[in-house]
Amino acid sequence: MLLTKTIRSTTFKLALASIAVFGTIVVAFLSYVYISTLTYVQSEFDRAITVERRLLEGSFQHEGRPGVIAEIQRYLSDNAFADRIYLLTDASFHVLAGNLKSWPTEFSAAPAEAPKFEEWSGGENQPPARISLGTLPNGDRLILGRRIGSIDALRENNRNALIATFVFLFLLTAGASVAVTRRTIGRIESINATSRGIMESDLKKRIPLRGTNDEWDQVAGNLNSMLDRIERLMGELRQATDNVAHDLRTPLTRIRGRLEIAYSQLHDNDCRRELIGDTIADLDVVLRVFTSLTRISQIETNIQRSAFRTVNLFEVAGRAVELYEAAAEERGVRLRLVGDMTLSVMGDPDLLFDAISNLLDNAIKHGRNAGEVMIGTANANGRHTIYVADNGPGIPAKEYSDVLKRFYRLERSRHTPGNGLGLSLVAAVANIHGARIEMSDNAPGLRVQLSFPTSASVPHLTPRTKSELAKEEEQELR
Amino acid sequence: MDSSSRRRILVIEDDTETASQIANSLSTQGYEIELASTGTDALERGLATDYALITIDRMLPDMDGLSVMQLLRNNGVTTPVLIISALGEIDERVRGLRAGGDDYLVKPFSFAEMAARIEALCRRSSTIIKETLLRVGDLEMDLVSRTVSRRGQSIILLPREFKLLEYLVRSQGQVVSRTMLLQHVWELHYDPTTNIIDVYVGRVRRKVDGDQNYPLIHTVRGVGYCLRAPN
Repeated sequence: MLLTKTIRSTTFKLALASIAVFGTIVVAFLSYVYISTLTYVQSEFDRAITVERRLLEGSFQHEGRPGVIAEIQRYLSDNAFADRIYLLTDASFHVLAGNLKSWPTEFSAAPAEAPKFEEWSGGENQPPARISLGTLPNGDRLILGRRIGSIDALRENNRNALIATFVFLFLLTAGASVAVTRRTIGRIESINATSRGIMESDLKKRIPLRGTNDEWDQVAGNLNSMLDRIERLMGELRQATDNVAHDLRTPLTRIRGRLEIAYSQLHDNDCRRELIGDTIADLDVVLRVFTSLTRISQIETNIQRSAFRTVNLFEVAGRAVELYEAAAEERGVRLRLVGDMTLSVMGDPDLLFDAISNLLDNAIKHGRNAGEVMIGTANANGRHTIYVADNGPGIPAKEYSDVLKRFYRLERSRHTPGNGLGLSLVAAVANIHGARIEMSDNAPGLRVQLSFPTSASVPHLTPRTKSELAKEEEQELR
Repeated sequence: MDSSSRRRILVIEDDTETASQIANSLSTQGYEIELASTGTDALERGLATDYALITIDRMLPDMDGLSVMQLLRNNGVTTPVLIISALGEIDERVRGLRAGGDDYLVKPFSFAEMAARIEALCRRSSTIIKETLLRVGDLEMDLVSRTVSRRGQSIILLPREFKLLEYLVRSQGQVVSRTMLLQHVWELHYDPTTNIIDVYVGRVRRKVDGDQNYPLIHTVRGVGYCLRAPN
């Protein structure tokens, strides 16, 4: 899905990182502003409170306790001082004047000489306050303070603003990153998809350019150049293969021709006849290898996907079984055909049949005598598959990828007939169909499976039963 | 077609030694051979003379053998054509057959194979396959009911075995190569390394010839098989 690709991409992470850094700076700045504002406001309050304390201390000096009480009462009667706190008590905390009911219990410890500032919760149902606690020279205790509802409100506002900014930035970061990245990913995806399409089906197509000459166009342009080169190389290879075919085949025909003539001219009891007969047989082996090689080359360089048709895997398996039935019987090998009869893929029917026949041939040849070879079709998560499994000695797992190479023979098979090309042909066929070859231990034995991509798997058409297939064949014979 | 042309073959091949090898091999089979080594020469002869069969090498010096064939066909030449070519891939074979060829032989080939195919093609031009009942010796095949019997006793054959026997019977007296069998009975054009054909023929042989007065299916060493009744 495009969204998951977007989130996983490097561009997204970069965008996210850069916006996050920017956002962090903004938040830090705002926090700094907030904190310094708060600190300033607070210190202003404290200063004002201290000024008041000095005034009241002055009153005490001139008029003693009554003077202080009178000042406090004057303050309290003025509405302008509504958010202020005043409390005068004697040394035993009996209230003398002020707008607090009692000395706050949180601060019962004897205040020190120098007045101290404290944060106070404010008492019952009252807003919090900042208070200064001090002692007058006669032992009376004096509290001066301010309700800091306003500061609190300021704090709250600022905090909310900060949180809002933070959330907004987060959304902006995420949103902007996704938006910016989507365009990039979209462009990359289109290049990726086109490339995949080209490699799978048609080497002649090219990735379209937007004409903006930006970095994406340059990437596309370079990819197109590479495709040009690949196409050219494959053309040259095909040409070379064709040339080899022609250049070698004519003299080979002549060689064989001469040998045949010599063979026919000798009498049966002439010992040279056997010599020539054997030479012809060996030459035929060489020619078979030669044919297989050129065939494999042709398959590899000739991705004629346009010639692909719907091929029913089960039918291919059935035809292969039918062909090798007799040979299997000779070795006492039992052939079993199983699986889903509806699975089809887009492909070349002849090449697929060839590949499956090869696998079946191998399984019969290298499986156990009097053993069983199973050939079947299955749907594995949308990938249509066809497999051949025997219960012979199998292949060591580390040789799985080697056996697909041309001319590779297992040590123990070196002296059995075969040229080691069968599996490389299967590999070439699998390759042009975009199919995977999966080899595994059949415990015992070897299991080889061709797994076709979901894009090539054709959704099933009306399944034909075995009896329908047999009837069709009968009609064919008529 | 008059009797003299029944065995006259035009061999179109630019390599002189291969041409003479082919010519020699076919003359020993009783054919009369004419050679052409260029496309233009081939066209001249092909249009002027009636042949039993024409073999064409695709890689001629002046044009593609297929073009020669197409030109001949366009001018009403219905002679069977055997295309001989170094280009052996299936799409090339299909191209050749679609362009009007009747059979396709890939170089290098065995002359026995070539002879067998030529014999089959020549014979095809003179018989029309319409019978529903085929007989060879004491063997009878009913193509409608899909039954086989020898001396009146029925023989049970699987569909593919029936098809194989039918092809052998239709080619009775002629040598049929393994590749020809693969082609006509299984519609396959590649050469499996296992001897599956031999095994199959063996099976059919056991059913058809086992316990009978005389064998009908004979092995021809180095080439293939031949079905014929003794006479």
